[in-house]
Amino acid sequence: MASESVIEISNLTKYYGKLLAVDQISFEVKHKELFGLLGPNGAGKTTTIRMICGMLRPTSGKIVVAGFDVSQKPEEVKRRIGLVPDISNLFGELSARTNLEFMGKLYGLDKGTRRERIDQVLELFHLKERQNDLVKYYSKGMHRRLTIAAALIHQPEILVMDEPTSGLDAQTARLVREIIIDLNNEGRTVLLTTHQIDEADKLCQRVGIIDRGHLIALNTPEELKNSIKGIHALEIKVLDGIDQQRWLPIISEAKGIERVFLAEGRIRVLSKDLPQVIPVVVNLIDKHGGKIENISVAQPTLEDAFINLTGKSIREEPVSKEDYLRRRLSRSGMR
Amino acid sequence: MKKSKPFTLLLHSIYMAENDLRQSFKSVRHVVWSLLFPIFMMFTFSFRYGTVGPDVSFMTFLIPGVVAMTAMFGSINETMSIVWDKSLGVFDRILAAPVSSTSIIIGKTMAGAVMGVISALVLLIIGSLFFGVSFANIGFVLIIIVLASFSFTGIGTIISGLASEPREAMMLSNLLRFPMMFLGGVFFPVEAMPMPLPYIARALPLTYATEALRAVMSGNMTVVLFDAIVLAIYTVGTVVIGSKTLMTIMTR
Repeated sequence: MASESVIEISNLTKYYGKLLAVDQISFEVKHKELFGLLGPNGAGKTTTIRMICGMLRPTSGKIVVAGFDVSQKPEEVKRRIGLVPDISNLFGELSARTNLEFMGKLYGLDKGTRRERIDQVLELFHLKERQNDLVKYYSKGMHRRLTIAAALIHQPEILVMDEPTSGLDAQTARLVREIIIDLNNEGRTVLLTTHQIDEADKLCQRVGIIDRGHLIALNTPEELKNSIKGIHALEIKVLDGIDQQRWLPIISEAKGIERVFLAEGRIRVLSKDLPQVIPVVVNLIDKHGGKIENISVAQPTLEDAFINLTGKSIREEPVSKEDYLRRRLSRSGMR
Repeated sequence: MKKSKPFTLLLHSIYMAENDLRQSFKSVRHVVWSLLFPIFMMFTFSFRYGTVGPDVSFMTFLIPGVVAMTAMFGSINETMSIVWDKSLGVFDRILAAPVSSTSIIIGKTMAGAVMGVISALVLLIIGSLFFGVSFANIGFVLIIIVLASFSFTGIGTIISGLASEPREAMMLSNLLRFPMMFLGGVFFPVEAMPMPLPYIARALPLTYATEALRAVMSGNMTVVLFDAIVLAIYTVGTVVIGSKTLMTIMTR
C-alpha cells in the first residue's frame, strides 16, 4: 500500500479560450506522501488543483483520485479530498461554528457526528473560545486555521492545499507548516502548492516544479539540488550596494557563469568552475568601481536548482499581462 | 447510510438556501435597508396624497404595487449573493464539496424566492396595519407573491450569473429594477402612461404582479387568473435561463 498512487494525472491540459494554462502535465502523488507543486504565480498550480478537485473541467487528459476518474465520479472524488484554498473563503457573516456546521451538512454528516467533529477541529486549531464570533472579525491566522479546519471536517484521506502559507506572518506560517506535517504524519496524503522554495524544501517529500503550465522537474528536494551537482554557488555583497541589481549585467559578462541573480539582497553566481570565475568576477567589480564587502562559496539551494531549470528567479519575476490573465482566469467564477 | 439521490439533492438545496438566508438575516442592516426603501416610498406617497378623505383610495392603489415591488427588491437582492460568493471564492467551497450543481441552483433560487415573499409580507402587514388596506383573498395574494418572487429571482440569477463582479451586478440590477419600478404600474397606472410606455410595461413581470394584487383586492378574478398565468410563464422562463447561466459558470 505504501507506494501506491492516490492521485494519478496523465497529460492534463487546460485552455482558457486560447490561453494555455496547463500543458500536458503528468505526475503521481503516492499514498501518505507530502507532495509539493512549486512554481511562480500564474504557473498553472491553482488551475491544476481545481481540476484535481473536480471544480474545473480539463480540456484534455485524465485525473484519477483514489481510483475514481474525476470526470466520471466527481462526487466520489470530492468526498475524499479536503481542499484548503489560497484565500479564506468562509462565510464572513456567519460564526466559525455555523460555517463548519454548513460544511458538515454538505458532506452528509449527521448531527451527532457533526458536533463531535466540529468540537474536535475547533479544539485542534485553538478556535474553541472564539467559535461563536463572526468569521469576518477573525485575524488572518485564525482565518487560515479555520479554513484548514473546514477542510478536515469530513476526515478526508487526501488534503489539497493551495498556497497554505502565503500572506501569513512568519509565526503563523510556521504554525501552519507544523499542522501540515502533523496531518501528513497522521497518514493523510497532502498535495500542496507553493511559490516559496524553502517551504517546498522543508516540507515536501517530493517536489514538482511547474512553470508556464509545464512540469519541468519532479523529484525529492535533495535530488533536485543534486541535479545542479557540479554547479557551485558564489555569494557576493558589494559595499554600499543598495542597488545590487546593477551588478547583475556586469557580472554576467564573465565567462563560465551559468546564472547570476539576486537572493536575499546578495548577488548569487552559479558556475561549474568557481576557481576560474572568482578572480574574473572580482576583477569586473573592481573595474566598475565596486568594493566587495563579502564574498563566499555557498551550498546550492533548491532555489538555485529552480533558477537553473527555469532560467528565472521565483520572487523577482515581474507579473506579465499574460500571467496576470492566467491568474485571474484560474480564480473562481471569473470568465 | 446511503440516502436516495433526489432526497440528498433536496436536502443539499435546503442547506444552500438556509445558509444563504442565514447570512442575509445575520446582517440586520442588509434586511432593514432593503425594506426601508419601499416603506419610505409608501409613507412618502401617503403624505402626498393623504390617508383620509376622498383620496384614501390611492393607498389601495399604491400598496399592492409597493408589495409587488418589495418582492422584486427582496428577491433580486438575495440573488446578488451569487456574485458575492463568486468573487469571494465562497463558491469554490461549495463546488469542492460533493454537492451537485443542481442543488446549488435550486438552493439559490429558493433563497431568492423566500426573501422576496418575506419582504413582500412585511410590507403587506405594514400596509394593512397603517392604512387599513385589506386583501379579500389572502390565498390568491400569496400565490401571486410567490410566483412574482420566483420570476424576479430568475431575473436576479441571470444578472448574477452574467456579471463578473459585484459592482457590475449591482449596476445591472439597478438598471433593471428602477425602470421596472416606475414602468411596472406601482406609482402610476399603466393605462395613464403615454405611448409607447404601456407596451414596455406589458413586458415586465412587475406590471402583472401589481395588477394581479390590485385585482385580488377588487375581486376581479379573471384578471388575477390571467396575470397568474403570465407570471408562471415568466417564472419558468427566467428560472430556466438563470439556471443555465449558473450552470455554465459552475461547469467550466
